[in-house]
Amino acid sequence: MSDTFSYLLMAWLDPQLLLLTAVGTLAGIYVGAIPGLSVTMAASILISFTFSWDINNALALMVGIYVGGVYGGSRTAILLNIPGAPSAVTTAFDGYPLAQRGEAGRAIGLSTVMSVIGGLLGTLVLAGTAPYLADMALEFAPRDYFLIAVLGLLLVSTLSGKSLARGIFSVALGGIIGLVGMDMVTAQPRLTMGSMALMGGIHYVVVMIGLFGAAEAFYQLHNLNRVPVKQKVDKIIPPLKMVLKYLPLSVRTSIIGVVVGALPGTGGDIASLFAYDHAKRTVKNPSSPFGEGAYEGLVAPETANNAAVGGAYVPMLTLGMPGDAVTAVIIGALVIHGLNPGPMLMIETPHIFWFTVGNLALANLFLLLFGLTGIKVFSKVVEVPKALMIPLILVLCVVGTYSINSNMMEVYWMLGFGILGYWLKVFGFQMGPIILGVILGPLLDETYRQAMSSVGDDTGQFLLALVANPLSLVLTLVIVLVLLSQTPLKPWVKRRLSRQ
Amino acid sequence: MFKPILAPLALAVGSLALAGTAQAEYPERNIQATIQWGAGGATDNVARSLTPHVEDILDTTLVLTNRAGGTGVIGMNHVMRQRPDGYNLLYGAENPLLYPLMGLADFTYDDMHTVNIIGQGLVVIAAPADSPYDNFSELLEHAQENPGELRMGGTGAGGLPSTVYAMINAVDELDVRTVTFGGDGPGITAMLGGHIDFMPLSLAAAGEQIRGGEMKGLAVLTTEEIDSLPEVPPITEALPDIESFLPWGPFWGVFVHEDTPDEAKATLESAYEEAVGREEFQEFLQNFGAEALNLNGEEAEQYLDNWQSVTAWAMYEADAGILEATPEELGIPRP
Amino acid sequence: MSQKFERVQAGEKVFDWLLLLLSIAVLIEAYRIDGIPGLNSPGSFPMGLAVIMLASSLVILASHRHKRRDPRIRNARHEFQVFFHEHFQPHIVVFTLFAVAYLAAIVWVSFYISTFFFLAVMFIYFRQGRVVSSLIIAAVAIAVIYGLFTLVFRVYLP
Repeated sequence: MSDTFSYLLMAWLDPQLLLLTAVGTLAGIYVGAIPGLSVTMAASILISFTFSWDINNALALMVGIYVGGVYGGSRTAILLNIPGAPSAVTTAFDGYPLAQRGEAGRAIGLSTVMSVIGGLLGTLVLAGTAPYLADMALEFAPRDYFLIAVLGLLLVSTLSGKSLARGIFSVALGGIIGLVGMDMVTAQPRLTMGSMALMGGIHYVVVMIGLFGAAEAFYQLHNLNRVPVKQKVDKIIPPLKMVLKYLPLSVRTSIIGVVVGALPGTGGDIASLFAYDHAKRTVKNPSSPFGEGAYEGLVAPETANNAAVGGAYVPMLTLGMPGDAVTAVIIGALVIHGLNPGPMLMIETPHIFWFTVGNLALANLFLLLFGLTGIKVFSKVVEVPKALMIPLILVLCVVGTYSINSNMMEVYWMLGFGILGYWLKVFGFQMGPIILGVILGPLLDETYRQAMSSVGDDTGQFLLALVANPLSLVLTLVIVLVLLSQTPLKPWVKRRLSRQ
Repeated sequence: MFKPILAPLALAVGSLALAGTAQAEYPERNIQATIQWGAGGATDNVARSLTPHVEDILDTTLVLTNRAGGTGVIGMNHVMRQRPDGYNLLYGAENPLLYPLMGLADFTYDDMHTVNIIGQGLVVIAAPADSPYDNFSELLEHAQENPGELRMGGTGAGGLPSTVYAMINAVDELDVRTVTFGGDGPGITAMLGGHIDFMPLSLAAAGEQIRGGEMKGLAVLTTEEIDSLPEVPPITEALPDIESFLPWGPFWGVFVHEDTPDEAKATLESAYEEAVGREEFQEFLQNFGAEALNLNGEEAEQYLDNWQSVTAWAMYEADAGILEATPEELGIPRP
Repeated sequence: MSQKFERVQAGEKVFDWLLLLLSIAVLIEAYRIDGIPGLNSPGSFPMGLAVIMLASSLVILASHRHKRRDPRIRNARHEFQVFFHEHFQPHIVVFTLFAVAYLAAIVWVSFYISTFFFLAVMFIYFRQGRVVSSLIIAAVAIAVIYGLFTLVFRVYLP
């Protein structure tokens, strides 16, 4: 027991580890904030530096980068409507309107505090239930992932604004974009129009930067001469009353974040979408309508995506299976340092586990420190005149897109998506459903076909499996309930029930 | 920039190939390395473990990107489309040698330059820990009584599981449902949850789970029992005829565009030769359940040709119908 | 507010027709994967999504029956004029053309040079003069990008 404590506090007491965690967190925030520079990329670049280091030092730096990077994406989402990372897409929905209203400082402050709360709760769950949660994650069969993806599709009504038909069209369009490329099973080209360049598919960050960043630059051209909103930068640290008010919501969305993060194959991006949807469904009187600067719309995704970090460590530390791309890189680091990530890791080297838990908590405290300082300077970004801002945003989009794969072709696509996004925006289409389709389309296709193959392509068996297994049954029921609650059936069902 | 040993060699080749002075500084910036398979899989692990040694030798950064999908065609195609300047490497597995045969693509490793064949992995047919079968004979027997019922994990047309499946079918009969995953990693996750019944995996990816008792080894694809997995029977116990295809295993290699300047090729070759030879990496390979090869130049070409002919003919004999072209048409000699 | 949603924007109907055409094109492309797909084949999802796109774009078109043109717009010709005036203002057209030229130029004259020119020209154009401060800001932006991407994160820019 005392051993466990000493490992937990190791990163807190050793000045070198303390410094590395701090440096990692700070670097992570800025890497995460720049669209196109991903945490995965930063982590894999830094691995080469840490090669000759002590394993704990390397892990401390990685943890910092990871925690900081997931948070950093929200900065540019709030200030410029360009999510720095896919998991910050949802943050832009309400964060950007807040900044336009002059509350950029408040939005960043609140998202920082909420990220830290989410991160700490995620760490707590990791510490308390890792083995249990890992077992649960394994229970998810391909058909359950399929059901999760279907559940995700139902978010379309939350994200599509005023016209559901437009939302559905956008989701399908996003799905089509996501499916471009070579088929996973048979390896035949799909929707490539005969182009070799499209065989590898379209990276979804390219779509994201184009639809959000570049489209926003074009759209803002209409407001070129409008004087920017003066930012209120006096109330940055959210008052305790406000934090307490949103605490119940943040606890719920943190749980969503940890669970989705713990599933190998889903991460912070899907977690934050589910959390946003949850907030929109359960919060009856948001501070403003959702999509127009509701604090709740900021709290939910920000807690969820940072809680997902703790979740992603669960399968990695207990099974040696990565929960997402960043943990895959960390697994690589463990192997290089002579450890064997796998089911024996926790038994043979339990200190790695407790060290990581302690370190995650520490990184979150640094996040609070670095996240709340320098906000004044940051929120002034929104006050930069549009004449300067618009060309700079476009350049940032170009650099960001190019740094994903060093491929100019993708930069052209980015601009194409920017122009498409402009017109869609003009005619009342939302960007959220398109991104939803891009993320979920391939997941749906892959898991559906795995599930079908598992039952020998027998549709009857497939449908039976959806209700025969307890976990699948729960998911199916949730889907049915959500469907009922959002269709015109709802009043009808209510009437029938009350009559009885 | 270069290590003292490499400098004379690089200079000699460099002055022969190009008179330019800028080229003598290769590598002057980050190198992009593409991994053909997803994060957490065997190719990924090998690449991520070897790369730091290479970075150390070349004194630059290798930015690793996973480009999984389409049996590795996507990753390989990406690298082949980049500028042939030596700044784009491919970490690949064995699959591209079968592309024309499967009709997946019209290129193979013949269309790239081999920097190094790093090592060869052992193959183990794994099952969940609570599987009713203790060895491959039992599984085969059950499958033959109930054709088309067991679920086998696969990684797409031309992937390792599909090749092993073909070898088995070349000498016996096995009819199962194939569930396709993005790579070894997601396949193992599904197996741990009991969502598939068995999967041919590289020992590298599955060894730790089998030793940890989370999965069970039904057979190793060798003629004799191996040290790292005692008590797992060799596959020849269940299928003696398969011996004609053995030894066989997936391999990992590093490749660059064919038109890369000779000087860059030479720099990379010597860097990788030194990196693979390093004691720490050799130790890693051993723990990993793989055999080091460290081949380049002529030897590497021979290895690739031999591997291609053994595998292509095994697949042809198993089920010529699934192939898009016969080995004969493609000019692949019989082993 | 609610009254406004019933009004169609200039060009909206044409755009919705274009979406229908896009859906048909996607459907044809999906059909080319493997004809009429089975329940579990490479073409099943693309085909399904294409059908959904087609159906929803038809619904969007049908909804035009309940919408009216802005009463201030007199006829199709006037609508086109309004649309053109709204979306093809000189500075939007110039920016778009320069953006395209900028992307093309990156390959020819390297990233930093083309970015500097793009930023400088756009700043000067949008701010109607103030050449010196525009050049300085563009240079500072280039320096920041160089420091951040090339030095710190070692991203290779063309």
